[in-house]
Amino acid sequence: MARTTSSRRGFAGSLVSGLMTIPAAAVYTGLTVVPVGFAVYYSFTQYNGIPSQPPTWVGFENYARIIQDPIGDLRPAVVVTALIAVAGAFLVNGAALGLALLLRRTTPFNTFARVVMFYPHVLSALIVGFLWQAILGPQGAVNNLLESRGASSLPFLADPDWALTTLIVVIVWAQFGVQLVLYLAGLQAVSPELQEAARLDGAGSVQVFRHVTWPALAPTVTVTIVTSVLSLLKVYDVVLGLTNGGPGDATQTWAYEILAVSFANNKVGLACAQAVLLVLVAGILSFTIIALRRRAEEGAEAVG
Amino acid sequence: MTRTSVRSAVRVAVVAVLSVAMLVPMYIMVVNAFKPQQEILLSPLGLDLATATTEHLAAAWQNTSFPVVEGYAVTLFLVLACNVVAIGTSVPAAYAIARTPGPLFRFLLFFFVAGMFVPAQIILVPAIFVLRATGLMGTLPGLVLFMASTMIPFTLFVFSGYIRMLPRSLDEAASIDGASRQRILWTIVFPLMRPIVATAFILNALSAWNDFVSPQLILGPGSEFKTITTGVYAAVSTYTTNYEIVFPTLLLAVVPILVIFVVMQRHIMGGLSAGAVKG
Repeated sequence: MARTTSSRRGFAGSLVSGLMTIPAAAVYTGLTVVPVGFAVYYSFTQYNGIPSQPPTWVGFENYARIIQDPIGDLRPAVVVTALIAVAGAFLVNGAALGLALLLRRTTPFNTFARVVMFYPHVLSALIVGFLWQAILGPQGAVNNLLESRGASSLPFLADPDWALTTLIVVIVWAQFGVQLVLYLAGLQAVSPELQEAARLDGAGSVQVFRHVTWPALAPTVTVTIVTSVLSLLKVYDVVLGLTNGGPGDATQTWAYEILAVSFANNKVGLACAQAVLLVLVAGILSFTIIALRRRAEEGAEAVG
Repeated sequence: MTRTSVRSAVRVAVVAVLSVAMLVPMYIMVVNAFKPQQEILLSPLGLDLATATTEHLAAAWQNTSFPVVEGYAVTLFLVLACNVVAIGTSVPAAYAIARTPGPLFRFLLFFFVAGMFVPAQIILVPAIFVLRATGLMGTLPGLVLFMASTMIPFTLFVFSGYIRMLPRSLDEAASIDGASRQRILWTIVFPLMRPIVATAFILNALSAWNDFVSPQLILGPGSEFKTITTGVYAAVSTYTTNYEIVFPTLLLAVVPILVIFVVMQRHIMGGLSAGAVKG
């Protein structure tokens, strides 16, 4: 008897709980889950987005087109995005960790420096792109300075290789502040006693970092790598402001390809196939990084 | 000098040089906002007070493609409305998920968290078709709902993690006293969630404030509503070498957010690291 009441109450409780999730589930399902479903469906069709012309089923044609890339117009975006993700992740994390070690003590000077390192993140990426365009463009501030000193101008945004390098540097400039804040938070969790003990045992600062600080930072490193890779994979706004994908297609990222090339040219099916692939890559990469980092994190527990 | 003081002098010098490097773009933007094109080209770093002028700043202020005051009003509205929807729906959902045992609610959490790996601007193309089908395309409610839906996964994830850390005895005591679950949630649990709500609000506010693709595509380039980012794009994108337009427009677009950031820097940066630690 008592059991039935409690299970009935459990059921009623679950029902109330279920009802409480409905508003969030409705908004999230309607505008994120259903669109993902649509993206998967459209990715198997040829569709120009015009309501009067329904999508026609073409199977894996869009995916085959992306993978085989017969006219060589899609692969550059994959290469550009991969370069940005790999180089960007290393530079962002290197700069952030280096500065976090320099700024870890809370002094007024360090607080000021942290604010200075972080502020580009509160500007929108589009504005960051436009600003650096005005500084590094062919007519920009830097090139005018060089020319007025009699030096020749530099093709920061005019030469394909330079432009990609410039783009990566600008992204790092704008982004590493976030990772810096995460590393600073991580460093606070490193036990000072352990570092002090290592120092008393005669370890130099490099050794203390390698054997105490770095292992203890492992969980933070996982978070910073995953968050930086995820945001680097979807770079779009800053490209629009800085280079608009040029020169040629030298700085067209995967997101740029989806929004400003495929979708803008009414190739909705292709755009959706590209979007589905990007979501898959982002998911697989994140889980791979988390799985690979698990061993390092187990080491962190041993140290902590 | 001892070794440690040399080391700390080097450290201060390195940080100072890097700080200057971070600030140079802001300096260039500010001084050039007060100069005519010819002078910007001739001496991009200097500011001659004799020829400095606010003429171009005034022109940028009156530019019809970027109505500054309205742009700020629309952007601020988006920040608040998206947060109300995202936080308002995530609080009860996270509470239900955190407090109800069973595989169904574990699956629900997973279902929401999976959304964190879906980049908003990538899912925008198919979302446009959903908005069209529901008549919300080109409207502010449609934009708010889309942006809020991209905020819900993270918001709900950190909320449910936080509620799990709150002692269950609080809710149980209240429920013995006969309070309904909604009342327990909003009068007892929600006030205790203040720190994590602040974190979520700040992070969501930053992403809403800086979002360009969603308003540009959902409202459309010809929309009567312009946010700061879509307004800047409309004003600048076709005149990127007309620096008389570029610098003053960018200055108008960044000064308020920079002021807010400097005033609130402890909360913003603290909120970010709190979110990461909990997430």
